Amino acid sequence: MSAVAELRSTTKGTGRRVRRGPTTASEKRDARAAIFFLSPWVVGLLLITVGPILASLYLSFTDYGLLAAPEWIGLENYQRMIDDPRLHNALLVTFRYVFISVPLQLAAALALALFLDRGVRGIALYRSAYYLPSLLGGSVAVAILWRQVFGTDGLVNQALAVIGIEGQGWVSHPDTALGTLMILNVWTFGSPMVIFLAGLRQIPEMYYEAASIDGAGRMRRFWSITIPLLTPIIFFNLVLQVIGAFQTFTQAFIVSSGTGGPADSTLFYTLYLYQKGFGSLDMGYASAMAWLLLAIVAGLTAVNFFASKYWVFYND
Amino acid sequence: MSQHPTSGTTTRSAAPTARHGRSRRRGLAATAGIAVTGFLLAACGSGDGGLAPADRPAGEATAAEGPVELRFSWWGSDTRHQLTQEVIDLFEAEHENITIVADYASWGDYWDKLSTSVAAGDTPDIMTQEERYLREYASRGVIQDMSALDALDLSGIDEEILGAGNFDDGQFGVPTGINAYALVADPQIYEQAGVEMPDDTSWTWDDYLQITTEIAANTPDGVYGAQDYGFNEPGFAIFARQKGEELYTPEGELGFSEETLAEWWELSLQLQEAGATPPATKSVEVENGGPEMSLVGTGQGAHSMFWTNQLEALTSAAGHDLELLRHPGEADGERTGMYFKPSMYYSISSTTEYPVEAAMFVDFLLNSTEAGELILSDRGLPANTDVREAVRDSFTDVDKQAAQFLDDLGPVIVDSLATPPEGSGEVVNIIKRINEQVLFGQITPQEAASQFMAEVEGAIG
Repeated sequence: MSAVAELRSTTKGTGRRVRRGPTTASEKRDARAAIFFLSPWVVGLLLITVGPILASLYLSFTDYGLLAAPEWIGLENYQRMIDDPRLHNALLVTFRYVFISVPLQLAAALALALFLDRGVRGIALYRSAYYLPSLLGGSVAVAILWRQVFGTDGLVNQALAVIGIEGQGWVSHPDTALGTLMILNVWTFGSPMVIFLAGLRQIPEMYYEAASIDGAGRMRRFWSITIPLLTPIIFFNLVLQVIGAFQTFTQAFIVSSGTGGPADSTLFYTLYLYQKGFGSLDMGYASAMAWLLLAIVAGLTAVNFFASKYWVFYND
Repeated sequence: MSQHPTSGTTTRSAAPTARHGRSRRRGLAATAGIAVTGFLLAACGSGDGGLAPADRPAGEATAAEGPVELRFSWWGSDTRHQLTQEVIDLFEAEHENITIVADYASWGDYWDKLSTSVAAGDTPDIMTQEERYLREYASRGVIQDMSALDALDLSGIDEEILGAGNFDDGQFGVPTGINAYALVADPQIYEQAGVEMPDDTSWTWDDYLQITTEIAANTPDGVYGAQDYGFNEPGFAIFARQKGEELYTPEGELGFSEETLAEWWELSLQLQEAGATPPATKSVEVENGGPEMSLVGTGQGAHSMFWTNQLEALTSAAGHDLELLRHPGEADGERTGMYFKPSMYYSISSTTEYPVEAAMFVDFLLNSTEAGELILSDRGLPANTDVREAVRDSFTDVDKQAAQFLDDLGPVIVDSLATPPEGSGEVVNIIKRINEQVLFGQITPQEAASQFMAEVEGAIG
């Protein structure tokens, strides 16, 4: 612990300079330049992100079928959600997906990061190879591949046939379809893994040396040094992946041909939102759904941040 | 800024920057607010603006003098895009002041794109429509009554189907061609199973169960008697009509009884249990694969239900000749259930600046033999009966086969279906989902029937 305190004292201070806006002429010039260079992004943000977000808030209080002007109906869309069994099912599907696949994905990412951190030869190659699924995972092509791999005549069943098991169509059975999508999500562990790797590199070697001298074994070092010092990174990954998982759309859309089937077993929240908006032309309801999702994700993130006080360890 | 340390973690170096810019950020927020308000106002404005084009001719419509640009949007495959472009070129050559802008997408994207363009006040001047969406677009005032357009001659259009685009005192869509929902059978599998092809003018649903079960039993594993029929509603519409009922009444309500629908799903389960149709997981996969992956298209089954204009795609997927059969139960029911359906419609935007030229173009698409020679049966067997006769010799063999089937069917068809009510675009998704629940045994046919009726009533209500 003394090492941690020492580290804390050396890094302290750099973040403490409190300034009240630009004072000198050159700082003002800098500020203008900054705004100038930021402007393409700011304009894009306002027009493409903030504008539609506010518009959708307004639309969520209207009956809007896209083909005619929106009509103000107050809270009716939100009230309808209470009696919408498909919405409840979509929430259930999405929550199950998030709460099962995200922890598994992070565990896989951490395990691989620990393995690669031990200085494997050709680490750059491995890192890229494991990162690749993260880039591909959300793509249409991989979703199509998934449908094939877990289909009745797919690779999984061909492999099972070798050992004499006759498998079913995994993506086309309501009991297993969601599971295949969870596997897909776990498989895209590359981006949290890279972040874990960077986090592991940040842990000073001297802690491990000191601990070894004191007689700590490998497990002990892992639980008492690696994990505590890595908690900010774990937290960061957790928040990011939870938010990402709630927004899963492409995979479910492709694998189920846009239906959320079989029998609504892969009806992700965003997929149902899309069906409501563009299928039923019920844009008002879809907008209200978007705001409910925002509330849920924001709520969960807040809970995450609150809980982090009890388990995340910042060594500063 | 140069005082900031370049080392250290990102969070730490970011902190002072954030404080640094607080007052500036407040200014930015204000600017943002103004910009957003402006944006929203602009967005609201365009919606209204689209309804009243400034230079739209008031009162009677006359042809424009100067250059005219029209946008025509349709859905479909690459082949359709190419041949439609050829038709457009032909039309443009005849009318030098008119330019037609092609705007196409695949079936799924088409509706997202169309509804979004309408919302943005950018409705295409001419569009293809489908029966499930036609009423929706008409009742929202997006498309116009075409019977008032003098440049469009509807006298040659098949009476049998013209009425399908006519409701609420207006002709909101003109059918492009006709289709029928039929059984596509694979004679090779029949032969392989040693089963005689049935007489489709007299066979019953019992025969269907028996024959398909026998075919599945006499062929190797993985070859089935029939593809499951429960994933969409046209097949059920035929089944209901055979019992003297209808899918929808002309008033736009449900026109069938719960018992009939339960019976339809009961039969589908019997087929599955007998092994005539594949296990549920396989059925789901086959259904999601479209015509090319259908049982008939891949040689894995003796029957699939499809629209007659899909025969070409199915035949090329199968690699050998297929046969069109009438649905079972046509002879022993209360009446025949099969019907002609307009494969799609041409509609004209109610906000087009050039209704006369738009009507001229639709007239060309429908009534010109030259256009017909190019389009052939791509949008169904041509709706104009003269064009249909004139271009028939140019059909491919498969199209001729389909045309012959429709000809023979004509005399036994009682009437066409009423235009489906608003909201019926959702029905295909509802029936698909409930059918999956039935096939996986999650609900009984009886429960499925009452659930379907409740959900559809909610959708079309």
